[in-house]
Amino acid sequence: MKSKLLLALVSMILAGTAAAQVKPGDAIKWRQSGYGFMAWNMARIKTNVEGTYNKEEVIKAANAIQAIANSGMGALYLPGTDKGTGWEKTRVKPEFFTNRDAVNKAALAFIKEANEMAKVAAAGDAAATKEQLGKLSATCKGCHDDFKIKD
Amino acid sequence: MNQEKFRLWDLPTRLFHWVLALAVVAAIVSGQLGGNLIDWHGRIGLFIVGLLTFRLVWGVVGSTYARFLQFLPTPGEIGAYLRGEWHGAGHNPLGALSIFGLLALLTAQVASGLFANDDITFVGPLFDLVGKNLSNRLTGIHYLVANAIYVLIALHIAAIAFYGHVRKQKLVKPMLTGWKDGPGESATGGGALALILALAVAGAAVYGASGAWLPAPLPPPPAAETPNW
Repeated sequence: MKSKLLLALVSMILAGTAAAQVKPGDAIKWRQSGYGFMAWNMARIKTNVEGTYNKEEVIKAANAIQAIANSGMGALYLPGTDKGTGWEKTRVKPEFFTNRDAVNKAALAFIKEANEMAKVAAAGDAAATKEQLGKLSATCKGCHDDFKIKD
Repeated sequence: MNQEKFRLWDLPTRLFHWVLALAVVAAIVSGQLGGNLIDWHGRIGLFIVGLLTFRLVWGVVGSTYARFLQFLPTPGEIGAYLRGEWHGAGHNPLGALSIFGLLALLTAQVASGLFANDDITFVGPLFDLVGKNLSNRLTGIHYLVANAIYVLIALHIAAIAFYGHVRKQKLVKPMLTGWKDGPGESATGGGALALILALAVAGAAVYGASGAWLPAPLPPPPAAETPNW
């Protein structure tokens, strides 16, 4: 009896800790922060391919995007965070949580092109960077089209 | 064989029609594919602003059957048409509704697109005038209107097929040649001066929509001031 009570107590604490690791509001905040930070870096690359090309700038931006893409952001899409507010109300569609195959496919496509973006940036060719930025953008769209709410 | 025919659609109206059709297809394809084509999507949108503005002016100063007042249908005319009692030339009352619908939807579409963003790298040329929140709303409208446009395009093509096969009325040929077989008054008006006016207003609209008149964004700080972290 005692051991059962102890077990229940321990599991309650464990469950509590697990939930305390990432609160839904924080999860939504952090994923919005990730996309917001990537937006700056995407814009940086775009400015560089449209104006004077600064290789170092583009490398920094591409590396930042690559790092976020490979950071395992999928962990921030906790069950129940299809609704809620981070910095603003989440714009994820409920389908994101039910159609995991399509989401995984879109996410992997994005990671692949983000990795490629970093490689291309390191080479420093403006035309190739522009081309790759287009491919990368298309993978963003791959998820936005189906899984982002258009207000 | 009756060789009677009359001038229905003037050249500017026909050119407008076919160029618009191509531009809308190009806008749909570039919008769907995204990637670097999104920049072309924006350019095509501006071009369509010019086309629509041209048509709106041409609908006032153009030749007979291109004028909005000529084909603006009254409820009575729509009723008469549905009973098979309408006998006019140019857009029939139902077709006229479809024309006004398409023009209105396409206008709403380019207008919302000017302020839209894709949450990737693209913003419409007038994005800065409204800010992100309103831009998001307008982007949502841009997606909704796109669906309505698909429906009207399908209806437009279905109607042409219906008139061609069931009613034995060739609608495409007059839109290509300008001539329609049968009795009717040839179109008049819409001379060179009207054309210049319509083109000038269209050009001004494209300039306004392009945001070229907006103050230039602040230049980035010089490299020396950028910290190396």
